Amino acid sequence: MASSKIEELKRKRQLKNKRKKNQVIYGGVLIFIGIIIYILLLKNNFLYSVIWIIGLLIGFTLQKSRFCFTASFRDPIMVGSSSVLKAVIIAFIISTIGFAFIQYNAIGGNTAIGYENIPGKIAPLGIHTAIGAILFGIGMVIAGGCASGTLMRIGEGFALQMVVLSGFIMGTVLGGYHFEFWDRFFISRSKAIYIPEYLGLPLTVTLQIIALCILYYVVDIYQTKNNMMSI
Amino acid sequence: MLEVRIDCMHEACPIPLLKALKKLNKMNIGDVLIMETDHSCSITNVIDWAKKQGHEVDYAEISDGEWEIYIEKRQ
Repeated sequence: MASSKIEELKRKRQLKNKRKKNQVIYGGVLIFIGIIIYILLLKNNFLYSVIWIIGLLIGFTLQKSRFCFTASFRDPIMVGSSSVLKAVIIAFIISTIGFAFIQYNAIGGNTAIGYENIPGKIAPLGIHTAIGAILFGIGMVIAGGCASGTLMRIGEGFALQMVVLSGFIMGTVLGGYHFEFWDRFFISRSKAIYIPEYLGLPLTVTLQIIALCILYYVVDIYQTKNNMMSI
Repeated sequence: MLEVRIDCMHEACPIPLLKALKKLNKMNIGDVLIMETDHSCSITNVIDWAKKQGHEVDYAEISDGEWEIYIEKRQ
């Protein structure tokens, strides 16, 4: 419950509110375009039509929930609030279970079918992973959004993110340009690690879920104890 | 009671929060900070932070995609 002062200010503000534009027509046109694209995709490529619908739903969820991967990793340190980080951990738990079923269907108990045949990107792990993670972490905090957050905010009308998107495209092109260098010196020399190969899929999934649950409780304790940037 | 208004239009997280923090530092208890922003992330970000600090906080959408966040300094 907000204080009376704030209520008063809000009421005053509401009185001189400019009337909001009616956006029902724009919404209708967009839904119409969306359906047309869906029908076109359905005729040409069934997989793309499914991805189109899933993409729209993910975008809608991101915008309405104000979910932000950047905020989830930045705010615990900067602000001391970790509700979004907890949401990310829960999402990891759910996707761990989902991926367990998908991978179980694909490998059918035989983990030796080759990494490229297992769903989910199993890539070599090495120093390049750490360098990339640090670069991406610095970049997303300065830019105020990761890839999904940037796209979602452009759709929302936040113009700054268009600058971020052009930077994103430039970076991706440059990255593709000297990917060969990284591949030759780091990626091809590192080893891909797929834990189910050593422990079996059920045990790996159980261990991962336990680890994520422990993380969740650590974050929960951190949130109640931590009070950074207090005045 | 003093009303302080800061303009955080077109600024991405976490700049609005840092601006609010600096302003609140200079304000007295009972003063209200009014923050204008068009960054939807600020709503969760600033409000979470202000609540945790024990301030009174609320927000209103004043136009399409533009919000005002009200923070009453409490400590």
